Amino acid sequence: MATVAVPQLSGYHRPAVLDWIMTVDHKKLGILYLYFTLFFFAVGGILALLVRTQLAVADNSFVGNDAYNQIFTMHASAMLFLFIIPVWAGFGNYLVPLQIGAADMAFPRINALSFWMLPPAGILMFAGFIVDGGAADGGWTAYSPLAQQTGVGMDMWIIAVIVLGMSSTIGAANFLVTMFRMRAPGMTMFRMPIFCWTMLVTALLQLLATPVLAAALVMLFIDRNYGGQFFDPNGGGNVVLWQNVFWFYSHPAVYIMILPGMGIVSEILPVFSRKPLFGYKAFVFATIGIGGLGFSVWAHHMFTTGSVLLPFFGFMTFMIGVPTGVKIFNWLGTLWGGSISFPTPMLFAIGFVSMFLIGGINGTYSAAVPVDFALHDTYFVVAHIHYVLFGGSVFAVFGGLYYWFPKIWGRQLNERLGKLHFVLMFVGFNVAFFPMHMLGLDGMPRRIAVYADSAGWEALNMLSTGGAFLIAVSMIPFLIAVVMAFMRPKDQPDDPWEGNTLEWATTSPPPDYNFDSLPPVRSERPLFDARHGDEAH
Amino acid sequence: MRRVPLHRRLRLLAATLAAALLALLATGTASAIQPGGITDEARLMNDLFWIVTIAGLIVFGLVGAALVYAMIRYRRQNDELPPQFHGGGKIEAAMVGVPVLIVIGLFTISMIILVQIDDKAEDEALTIDVTGFQFSWQFAYNLNDLGTNTDPNAEGTIAVIGTPANDPILYMPVDEPVEFLLKSNDVIHSFYVKDFLYKLDLIPGRVNSFTVTARETGDFSAQCAELCGTNHALMRFTVRVVERDEFDAWVAAEAARQLGDGALVSTSGTQGD
Ligand code: HEM
Ligand SMILES: [Cu+2]
Ligand SMILES: [Cu+2]
Repeated sequence: MATVAVPQLSGYHRPAVLDWIMTVDHKKLGILYLYFTLFFFAVGGILALLVRTQLAVADNSFVGNDAYNQIFTMHASAMLFLFIIPVWAGFGNYLVPLQIGAADMAFPRINALSFWMLPPAGILMFAGFIVDGGAADGGWTAYSPLAQQTGVGMDMWIIAVIVLGMSSTIGAANFLVTMFRMRAPGMTMFRMPIFCWTMLVTALLQLLATPVLAAALVMLFIDRNYGGQFFDPNGGGNVVLWQNVFWFYSHPAVYIMILPGMGIVSEILPVFSRKPLFGYKAFVFATIGIGGLGFSVWAHHMFTTGSVLLPFFGFMTFMIGVPTGVKIFNWLGTLWGGSISFPTPMLFAIGFVSMFLIGGINGTYSAAVPVDFALHDTYFVVAHIHYVLFGGSVFAVFGGLYYWFPKIWGRQLNERLGKLHFVLMFVGFNVAFFPMHMLGLDGMPRRIAVYADSAGWEALNMLSTGGAFLIAVSMIPFLIAVVMAFMRPKDQPDDPWEGNTLEWATTSPPPDYNFDSLPPVRSERPLFDARHGDEAH
Repeated sequence: MRRVPLHRRLRLLAATLAAALLALLATGTASAIQPGGITDEARLMNDLFWIVTIAGLIVFGLVGAALVYAMIRYRRQNDELPPQFHGGGKIEAAMVGVPVLIVIGLFTISMIILVQIDDKAEDEALTIDVTGFQFSWQFAYNLNDLGTNTDPNAEGTIAVIGTPANDPILYMPVDEPVEFLLKSNDVIHSFYVKDFLYKLDLIPGRVNSFTVTARETGDFSAQCAELCGTNHALMRFTVRVVERDEFDAWVAAEAARQLGDGALVSTSGTQGD
């Protein structure tokens, strides 16, 4: 029997589809994460265009009030839970083992499990649109008691978010073990690539904060379905309790959404400035500082509830400005005195720095408590969110895609199209979101489906909608570049950019188990050392 | 494209970036003549708004200029490796020191202004009971709690109740402190008057309150600022600030209309308990 079976097995090739479904290889899982999350970026983007179309003119009835609430809720839910949080797991999966010189993640099967929890959760959340009462419509913040009122779509949303949270919790444990246990010989913690450091702090935040969200969601589920009354004042519950628990997770989650993006930018800037990251250790401590402080500022989302210790949370929120400022200095100092070239990844990285700077500054308004009384829950905050999450995180996602595309897919994205993509997106982004500052200052609340003509908000809203469509247009050159790249053979050398970190020491794309041999690791830039020896330090 | 030349294109790029940032700045400052506000409290917040704005513009200007300068000055011109510095004690101390100074400064000013805003009004202030409901407002006035012109023997409550299609008007006198008591029996709403530069939530199970002194008469549009369901966007109202005698006349007329036949109108019964 064995004589029959063996030749069959060795000659047997799994169909490609099965291969992707069964894989426990960190690179394939990383690619699956990227495909999945970019798909939901597109879905969330289409919902955003619906939102912007509805708001383009006053007294519009393009989508009704009910549908509007579902659309913006699902826009945010897709963008946050199905795109930006898991997209970092995608980059992390692909890159962390490569950057630390490991063959795979510590627990490859658990890794596959964390990925495969995502699709059912995404489907469940969006299936809300076809059930009675529609999809979740209480905002991604699901404030109680409003979240008790809506239909079964809300229950589906709750379960989906719990599942997504479990996925990122076990994923986080996997990243931590991988980075603590599997670094290449010579790679001390302070020689670890900066992207890995940001993934490490992100994983810690996920491990500590996500279970709190899961607990809150379970309470909400019980309240909705079994008369729990955790958040119902008529039953002795407390309405504001939900907000406290929700933001105890969701403020750290804001850093879960941006820290790896900072890591990516901090990989790209040194390579194209041909200098080390300025103040590597300061950057690491600032990252840890942001992570730590992130747990003590949750109530800055609740200044207008009248039940918050304002001075404490105001102070802690301002303090986050310190490590954030340190990072801006890190990036400026890296460019300073460098020899800077501007291929597409670098453009997105610099775009990130400039837009994140604005996102930091307009965040200060909300930290100044009395100013927040005016601006909270207005379009000013919507501007702030997007300067951080789009101007920040999304620019980092594209910077990372252009930068690692040759490594992951063995092909280069067209530079001209890349630059066009960047310029369109940069301009579109600012046209879409800068006017929202003014709308917020002029008193336009967020989450409204219609506004009166007499409010005088139409011109700026129209402008903003134009910008949103320009962002959509900017995706065309990107998609063309991707298609063009896939029509060519894999021709990329190991290290097309003169990179610093170990992923550039293997083929593009890397073989199974990643490395034949590793260069010695004597600093945080082993490939730079290999290229230049002791010529410079 | 990782070679030397192309600095024309580069300059173009840097110029676009710089122009975009400048345009932002210009539009920003042009229409950020925004805050203002019509109450004593709002004027304090307005001061703080401008302090934060100026600080922000300075930081943006300095960092933005440094960024653009670095991109132009240090663009790649040859294949030589630039000096490899990693940072150093003094600069890194400054990296922490400068932000610390800025945020401590802004925090201190914020707190000073917060304390002034929170100065509690005297007991004799006019009190307006605000109840938010899906999807409009009720403003109730107790006739023996009308501020400066109260008749202690008056009895009864008058109320204005709106509907999503018919925005209610909130009457209040100018130049005297007015206290708002905020309540909700269904979901959370938020009482937001743009020209107060202020909002405070209406939360089931608790009563929030705040006091303002308006200094300008006129009509000011306002609306709910916390998502509260389907018609959240229609929870609008108007704040009408009037002279005291005009206010008294309005109260008298409403009292006659609502309480005219002597029956005390119990308005709180309209919206559940
Ligand atoms: C095509 C680009 C985008 C456009 C045009 C857009 C537009 C908008 C608009 C107009 C709102 C306000 C809706 C309302 O308050 O009624 C909104 C909310 C929001 N967006 Fe986006 N957005 C875009 C991309 C993103 C991205 C990339 C993210 C995150 C990674 C994001 C996260 C959010 C969040 C968290 C909210 C708050 C929703 C809430 O209030 O519950 N958006 N977006
Ligand atoms: Cu927060
Ligand atoms: Cu509302």
